[in-house]
Amino acid sequence: MPNRVAIIGVGITPFRARYLDKTYFELAYDATKLALDDANKNGAQITHKELQSTVYGIYNELFERQFMPDIFTNSYLGMNNKPGTRIASGGATGGYTVRMAYAEVASGLSDLCLCLGLEKCNDCYDEQTGTTTPEVLNAIAYSADMTYEYPMGMMAASSYVSMVNAHYEEFGNPTEEQMAHVSVKNHGNAMLNPKAQSPKKLTIEDVLYSRIICYPFKMLDCCLYSEASAALILASEEKVKELGIEKPIWITGVGAANTDCFIGNRESIGRLYSNIEAAKAAYKMAGLDYHKIKDQIDVAELHDAFTGQEVISYEELGFVPFGEGGPWIEKTFEKPGEGPWLNGELPCCPSGGLIGCGHAVGATGIMSTGEAALQLREESGKHQVKIEKGRAISHSIGGPGAAYAAIIVMANEEGLKKP
Amino acid sequence: MSGQEFQDHQIRDRIAINYKYSLGGQSKFFIELMNNKKLLGTKCSKCGKTWMPPRINCSDCYALAEWVEMKQTGTIEVSTIVWYTTSAFIKAIPYAIGYIKLDGAQTAFLQGIFSENLVPSKVKKGSRVKAVFLKEREGKMIDFFFVPEDEYESWINKPEYEGGA
Repeated sequence: MPNRVAIIGVGITPFRARYLDKTYFELAYDATKLALDDANKNGAQITHKELQSTVYGIYNELFERQFMPDIFTNSYLGMNNKPGTRIASGGATGGYTVRMAYAEVASGLSDLCLCLGLEKCNDCYDEQTGTTTPEVLNAIAYSADMTYEYPMGMMAASSYVSMVNAHYEEFGNPTEEQMAHVSVKNHGNAMLNPKAQSPKKLTIEDVLYSRIICYPFKMLDCCLYSEASAALILASEEKVKELGIEKPIWITGVGAANTDCFIGNRESIGRLYSNIEAAKAAYKMAGLDYHKIKDQIDVAELHDAFTGQEVISYEELGFVPFGEGGPWIEKTFEKPGEGPWLNGELPCCPSGGLIGCGHAVGATGIMSTGEAALQLREESGKHQVKIEKGRAISHSIGGPGAAYAAIIVMANEEGLKKP
Repeated sequence: MSGQEFQDHQIRDRIAINYKYSLGGQSKFFIELMNNKKLLGTKCSKCGKTWMPPRINCSDCYALAEWVEMKQTGTIEVSTIVWYTTSAFIKAIPYAIGYIKLDGAQTAFLQGIFSENLVPSKVKKGSRVKAVFLKEREGKMIDFFFVPEDEYESWINKPEYEGGA
């Protein structure tokens, strides 16, 4: 039997467009220090010296201008002479890193493990336009298949939009208006999160009339690339007891799957099979039901890299039947107790998600897992949602054709007991 | 640092690696494209699945896949028009790309879709397209692209392009 594993500390730096005063390893140091402080607030008395290992989530070497950023971070964190393993799984790097840090502790290899995500993308710079983003996008585009797809001008948004357009063709949703609702929700939620990069009070029209990026995605349908770091401290059950942790958040399910990275090879282009398989695996491990999941969890931090993808995720993760994701958000607008809104039946992305809080790729899934854990501790501040069932999920996807998916299920002490 | 304002310092740098990339078992696809304007896929010797882009091994049943010449007409499965993009392509906007299923193939592959009237309705799902080739080819994916079938004659009459085999 694997050891039970809990999140005992969460550290998230503010998500920003640019940190001129911090390198990637300095950001990682800040997140680690915040996570240690949080663990100590949560009953522990530890320093980095007690951490036995690190699992690093760092997506893109080109961002960091360094092909092994983990070992330099390891030095800066004072973690020399301990094991450190790097995970890189595109946009799902964070979720996959939590999964592997879970495995590190569940297996008994470590009792106290640092799960650390970081990314600093906006040092990339495009001299032609005098801006960062086209060069950031190019650094990401090298993750596409380099022989057949990169030469066609493939990029992250055109990859996601293919799935969203195909989903629309199959089910008649998400419409542009339905996608705009996600943007309004997540930018709005970010206004309550002091660490968010993109807090905005928007109308549906603001989104619909924002600049076109790739049809039908507009500027306000897309997340912004961020610089940030996020850290979790994971402990075994024995260590939780020994340290006297007051509010451990137990990781009760981890699920992951990779679907075909060549979108054109998939049985249906408008479906992310990896999401479905990862969700089913994570829920099964946690003893939850794919078809009843909406009523079994209090909150979901989803991977809303693009608004349309969040809508599709409602369906793939089992919240609503296929074809009903768009109506679920659109028909519940300004109706308390319904839909994915902050005060809805299942709040999705109360942190603001990638669109509102930001997307610092390797750090993102760790931020969303940490945000969900803080929700279950009822310590989220202004974006705290109602916790009744004591359970939450975080969701990470990414890579070419968004092929990677990882889902983490968490529970507080009450959530472990409730059916 | 106390009381002192932070001053940042940035340096310009570039990572550049040159390649002479070997295409291995896929080489024949690019040679036939370059020399003969043919589009080759592969067909699994066991399950009969047609792979495009080609794979010399069938990933479904672990049997050898054999080269087959594909039709140069197909259907758009999904597409988009790109208006903001990477530094490598930003001078090319707007451009359309889409997943094309060639007639007879089971999989779709990504290609550029050129049109004299680049609007979403022109490149929508189900639209019929045909391959057009550059006259000067290097054995790369950019040696060809697709155009709406009703624009084919006009594209192959341009001096830099020609029809396929």
